[in-house]
Amino acid sequence: MSVLRAQHIIKTFQEGRETVNVLRGIDLTLERGEIVVLEGPSGSGKTTLLSILGCILTPTGGELEVDGRKIDPRRPELLPDVRKRSIGFVFQQYNLFPALTALENVEFALNIKGCRGPEAQQEAERVLRAVGLAERLRFLPRDMSGGQKQRVALARALSGHPPILLADEPTANLDSEVGGQILRIFHDLAKKEDRSLLIVTHDPRVRAFADRVLHISDGLLAN
Amino acid sequence: MVDLARKNLLHDKLRFLITVSGVAFAVALVFVQVGLFLGLMRNATITIERLGADLWVTSRNTPNVDFAHAFSESRVERVRSIPGVARADNLIVAFMNVNLPSGAEEGTLVYAMEDFGAWNFPWHVLEGDTEDLRRGNYVFIDESAAKRFGPFAVGDYREYLGTRLKIIGRTTEARSFTTTPLSFMDYQLAQRLLRSNTGSQTMYILVKLAPGADVEGVRAEMKQRLPYNDVYTSDEWATRSRNYWIVSTGLGFNLGLTVFLGCLVGVVVVALTLYTSTMEHLKEFGTVKAIGGSNRDIYGILARQALISSVVGFVLGAIPSLALRPLVSRLGGLELQITPLLMVWTFVGTVVLCLAAAMLSFRKVAAIDPALVFRG
Ligand SMILES: Nc1ncnc2c1ncn2[C@@H]1O[C@H](COP(=O)(O)OP(=O)(O)O)[C@@H](O)[C@H]1O
Ligand SMILES: [Mg+2]
Repeated sequence: MSVLRAQHIIKTFQEGRETVNVLRGIDLTLERGEIVVLEGPSGSGKTTLLSILGCILTPTGGELEVDGRKIDPRRPELLPDVRKRSIGFVFQQYNLFPALTALENVEFALNIKGCRGPEAQQEAERVLRAVGLAERLRFLPRDMSGGQKQRVALARALSGHPPILLADEPTANLDSEVGGQILRIFHDLAKKEDRSLLIVTHDPRVRAFADRVLHISDGLLAN
Repeated sequence: MVDLARKNLLHDKLRFLITVSGVAFAVALVFVQVGLFLGLMRNATITIERLGADLWVTSRNTPNVDFAHAFSESRVERVRSIPGVARADNLIVAFMNVNLPSGAEEGTLVYAMEDFGAWNFPWHVLEGDTEDLRRGNYVFIDESAAKRFGPFAVGDYREYLGTRLKIIGRTTEARSFTTTPLSFMDYQLAQRLLRSNTGSQTMYILVKLAPGADVEGVRAEMKQRLPYNDVYTSDEWATRSRNYWIVSTGLGFNLGLTVFLGCLVGVVVVALTLYTSTMEHLKEFGTVKAIGGSNRDIYGILARQALISSVVGFVLGAIPSLALRPLVSRLGGLELQITPLLMVWTFVGTVVLCLAAAMLSFRKVAAIDPALVFRG
């Protein structure tokens, strides 16, 4: 069963008088529990594609269905709700809230998703334990290493059980060993909890456990 | 619920300090300015309030209680004969020069009547018995006079308009708008000292009505019988006296301007610090959007930041203002009147203005593109 289906996705940006065709007809489906790697040279449109699949950007053309819901590009006001319910993001820059502890970072995301009180706290603790940060719950981001921060971000993405995880170069800022650990955690959790994972990375180690590897260039996908 | 607003505020302590200082400054300014104003206004009419007359008969167009004009004292008889009048008495309010032992000359505002006891006036006697005033060349002086007259004690003598009077009592709280200290003496004595217009003139007639008497009816009758006088209720007379000072001294305008400037400074500081804070947290707000938060979620965070800043700022501004009160009354001869009503309105104003200041950031936040979370 597919949790994400994109058909002929087109994205153009207007750069002054020039029109940049970044995505030129992308077809992609993501099955439940599937781990897919997206590779491609810098500037090839990986982040743009991830943004569209994650309902942060609207495509210029094409059809998108996320978690069983058709996305209407003319109604951008409905996108936050899709993100809230169906998608967990992990960014290259971690994007944690500097004033919040590890636990609060995850809890806050849960609050935004409508989960509050002790329930949110328990769920936040659960996912932080799952990423191996049981000992760091009360740490602020500034007191954690890059790997630890990315694990908090991963916990945040996992919290609330979204079926789809989208990760944009999650290990690019980490050294190779820590990056390897993060990828392993990604893999273990996605498999264990049956989440679909689309991960943009240049790390060759991902190929070891990926179900599929996609390559993007010139705005088109190749297997 | 994780309180991102509070945590973000406290995360940048210096900025938070600047924000709440701005609020505290504005609050303190409003408290001190309005408090002084209310204190002055209270001084201006405290004798009117404490005398508790139902009606005041004044000479035509008297602007305020301190600037009395004389009229024939026999008119009190006409007032007494009006049905519904329970009591009517003459009152002299006159400015007199006092020669001090040092050779200096100072001024005092004299209240003189025949029967102080009947009006329970002066209302706060520290020493002496007002019944004794009618027995000779005697005077009561308010203790606030010490600042201008130098120390004095019961038993001392002071020269009023060239006549030596013995101080036989002291009062407190008896002040005027100009902070000229008040003296109290017998009605006939005051007439003798003021001798110029012979001994048959008064400045006011104080009227107490019989229980159940119709105020407007009595007043209409009084105006008929005293065509050359004005008749006010206590409240009207107090308002007239206050308004005179507010307008003639420019006090009202000055107050309005200061309060406006205080609020402006507060709003600008809060708006700017919240705005720069928002600018620095754009990426965080982008993240809030990326994980599904709406503009309203973020407005809520900004509003909460404004609310916290306003409450903390209010407290920080209120405490020193309240602490300042004894100092002001000692130095200025004036009570800083920070009334509960003033507190409530200042608090409401602070919160409303801070929330308005937060709105400066709303448009910025609404325009945040969540796609920025992917950028470096
Ligand atoms: N908001 C935008 N406006 C204009 N051009 C953009 C915008 N976002 C991305 N692009 C362009 O789209 C192309 C693909 O960018 P991106 O998706 O970030 O690539 P990648 O993530 O593969 O490095 C780049 O040429 C970039 O300049
Ligand atoms: Mg990219």
